Amino acid sequence: MVGNIGTLLTGLALAVALYAAYAAWRGIHLPAAQGRDWLQSAQRATNALAALLGAALLMLLLAFLTNHFEISYVAQHSSTVIPIYLKISAVWAGQEGSLLLWCFLQALFAALATGRASEHARPLVPWATFFLALVTAFFVAVTLFLSSPFTLLAQVPLEGRGLNPLLRHPGMIFHPPALYVGYVGLAIPFAFALAALVTRQIKEWTTAIRTWTLIAWLGLGLGLLLGMRWAYDVLGWGGYWGWDPVENAGLLPWLTATALLHGAVMQEEKRGFHVWNMFLVIFSFALVLFGTFATRSGMIQSVHAYTASNLGGYFLTAIAVTLVGSLGLLYARRAALKTASAHMESLLSRDGMFFVTLVLFLMLTVSVLIGSLLPTLTEALSGQRFEAGPEWFDRVTGPQFAALVFVIGLCPLLGRAAATLKRLQQVRWIVIGGAVAVTVGAALAGFTDALSLIGFALIGFAATTTLAEFVEGVSTRRKRTGEAPLNALWRLLRLQRRKYGGYLVHFGVILMALGIIGTRMYPFETQTTVSAGQSTAVGKYTLLFEELKRDFVDDYTTTWATVSIYRNGVYLTALQPRLNTYTGTDQTVTVPALQPGLREDLYLILSGWSDDGAAVTFKVVINALVNFLWLGGLIFLAGGALALWPQMEHKTWNTVALVVGLALLVGAGWAMWGIPHGAVDYGSGRPLIGQAAPDFRLSTLDGQAISLASLRGQVAVVNFWASWCPSCVDEMPDLQSVWTAYQGKGVTFLGVAYRDEEAAVRSALAQYGTTYPVGLDTGDRIAKQYGITGTPETFVIAPDGRVVYIHIGPLTGEALAAQLDAVLK
Amino acid sequence: MLVIHLNVTFRGEGMQNKTTFIVAGLLIVAAVIYLIISSTGSTAQYFVTVAELQALGDEALNRNITVSGAVLGDTIVYDAMGPHVTFTIVQVPADPKEVERLGGLAQVLHDAVQNPTGPRLEVIYDSVKPDLLQNEAQAIVRGKMGADGRFYADELLLKCPSRYEEDVPAQAGD
Repeated sequence: MVGNIGTLLTGLALAVALYAAYAAWRGIHLPAAQGRDWLQSAQRATNALAALLGAALLMLLLAFLTNHFEISYVAQHSSTVIPIYLKISAVWAGQEGSLLLWCFLQALFAALATGRASEHARPLVPWATFFLALVTAFFVAVTLFLSSPFTLLAQVPLEGRGLNPLLRHPGMIFHPPALYVGYVGLAIPFAFALAALVTRQIKEWTTAIRTWTLIAWLGLGLGLLLGMRWAYDVLGWGGYWGWDPVENAGLLPWLTATALLHGAVMQEEKRGFHVWNMFLVIFSFALVLFGTFATRSGMIQSVHAYTASNLGGYFLTAIAVTLVGSLGLLYARRAALKTASAHMESLLSRDGMFFVTLVLFLMLTVSVLIGSLLPTLTEALSGQRFEAGPEWFDRVTGPQFAALVFVIGLCPLLGRAAATLKRLQQVRWIVIGGAVAVTVGAALAGFTDALSLIGFALIGFAATTTLAEFVEGVSTRRKRTGEAPLNALWRLLRLQRRKYGGYLVHFGVILMALGIIGTRMYPFETQTTVSAGQSTAVGKYTLLFEELKRDFVDDYTTTWATVSIYRNGVYLTALQPRLNTYTGTDQTVTVPALQPGLREDLYLILSGWSDDGAAVTFKVVINALVNFLWLGGLIFLAGGALALWPQMEHKTWNTVALVVGLALLVGAGWAMWGIPHGAVDYGSGRPLIGQAAPDFRLSTLDGQAISLASLRGQVAVVNFWASWCPSCVDEMPDLQSVWTAYQGKGVTFLGVAYRDEEAAVRSALAQYGTTYPVGLDTGDRIAKQYGITGTPETFVIAPDGRVVYIHIGPLTGEALAAQLDAVLK
Repeated sequence: MLVIHLNVTFRGEGMQNKTTFIVAGLLIVAAVIYLIISSTGSTAQYFVTVAELQALGDEALNRNITVSGAVLGDTIVYDAMGPHVTFTIVQVPADPKEVERLGGLAQVLHDAVQNPTGPRLEVIYDSVKPDLLQNEAQAIVRGKMGADGRFYADELLLKCPSRYEEDVPAQAGD
């Protein structure tokens, strides 16, 4: 029933979309008096379209929430046991549902953009409505006829297949919708640009829809960042960006959209760039279609899975129609565009650098596109298929991104050519100082590769000029108004949102560049196998493997290792990387554990273990400077949001929006650095072998008080045990016999009873005939000092007070005797 | 397209500035073309099918190669303590049109695994067994051909074509 309603709603939506296009066409071509009614009807149809698709999406959501497994899509992506928030995200977890979401967002944006058009945009609305209705109709038709989420199954399964474990992450609720906001958002400037071309009102279309361009660009940026973070947290390969074609499909329109934002600024300042902007908006939309095509056609090899579905051909046709149609229209209107061009100044002026920026973004787009298509291209050219790996992309795009950082650094200095040179002279010492400071700082932190130092210098330069712009703005304002510094900054940000939002975005990008240099130029990855209680050194870190545990949760088995982490011999934290195995499917999901730091993240993946669990293999990845990438990403988003901030009449709404925005940023920051990510802090770690054993005083049951320091010159064996722990009492006879044998050879035993009661300890001692001194560890005092996580554990301490042997778990008499012999020699 | 474009934009401007802009633009374009060509020469990898790799013979030795094929589930041997995986892949055609003609990637992979005579290649991968390494998965393997006729992989990408999943390497449940 729900499925049929959904299909019906989608079918109606297609009819309404086609009607909206027809009504807009009639309205445009009839005389104004009659035309107005048709145009009004087209507008209503556009609104109805959004409502119908919204209802269809709600139907699908309802089907998920109420487990309508007769719908194939629901059966494949949900089950009765997954939590509600996952059922919601499952709505767009697969191709069919994501296409429906796409349609809805497209219709919603179309209704908002045409219905609430600004003064500038109004003359363009009829044609824009027409083009947007056609675009929406295309996507709705694809959804309805080729990839419907409402297809019914002949036999209704009792239970769904559940959601892919890899998608069970809160980030996955937001990542696809954010990307789609970007994708569908780009259709709005595209439709308005075509409308501008048709009606020859070329000058003002960028102003008319700049909010929409910003929304689309910010949505893409957010989607890309969420995807990167999800890959880092969930996929467990240690990285965040692999230059995979599906990732590239999201990056390509973002690159052209960024160029378009810059070109639009120039156009608004009446400095030309009309042709540029037309090209960019057309390419952006074509790249959106290409991205959809690339990820669904099987033409491009990708690690992202998809059915090599039959959608490819339709999208290829759509791309061809888009390009041929819009470029043809552009050519037909070349005369109007030519007269619209403004004059150009020197290359070192604001115009000149915007021009360089656009060329760089265009070339980056071309580079990434060529890289994604390289197998197909080389096969066509030479008959042999070559493939571009991450190395290819890094080499080709690295210098271009570096050039962009340089231009970002020049940006705040730009005026007319002469002014630019003069300003550059004025600030040269500050700028050089900033560049030197970052470079030297990086070199001192151990980043000494020559090529990367150039990058650090560029980053220092760009960061200095960008921050200086804020400092200068604040100080100018203070001179004028006498406000306190923070107040002045606040007002500055509020009053010149686009300008300072833009600089904030630039600053975020600069920080991200720092993270990218760190992770791409200083990669570190190694595999290591450790047995329980043993440690291994990885760079300046020491990893001590404590134990391996297993538990059964819902529909999977989780296995985790606890590893104590020491940096330069100092206990840092304990990490618990996991491996989850899903029952039935045998799919495994690695859950990495992460110790974040300013210089680097230590990233630990549990790879495998021996059958008895006594040894494990880890993959250890050290991601240098990666937190600058995430921090830069947050600043980038904040800057974008600031630039987008609407001028709202109501003060209350402004405050509400501000609070929500800040809460989201804080939430994102908390999700990245506030959540432990597999880290469990036990407060302290064991002393490592070779380190001094922490001193303690133990009151023994026979009334003595022995301090460890007083045992200097002797070999001390400290045994943590408990009368309630079977494996502890098992080893007591062995310990007793070793004690008897070594008592006279300068060896002392100390039994530390962990979380125990005196009566129970006494009776255990009596039962096993233990004669060495034993005392109670009141309040876990000693256990904490020694980083004990369980019993039994045994430490052998040399006469100089250093730990020479640690054993976690039950110990045999022979093993202990062998260790003592070695120390006594 | 870019050159035409520049001409359109700057037509009717002061000759000198126009030339400066075009030269600057062309320099960037030339630099990027150089980067693309040189990187393709030095880091791009042969991308072949199992049959094509075997046809290369000795020519394939000691070169960076990417080879794709269907994973034979029964041949996967994993030593978690190594860690060390070996498995065999079977020839599947690379041409998307050919794949389409044979009934889609899922069908092609399924048929390849059933075909006892398809060209095969043993792959050695000294790393952790990826979550998606399973029967009928499509493996894209980067590495070098050894003189012993086995392929030594540095990198292993896998996809299960059974179902599209937005932004996810694969759905293994099918």
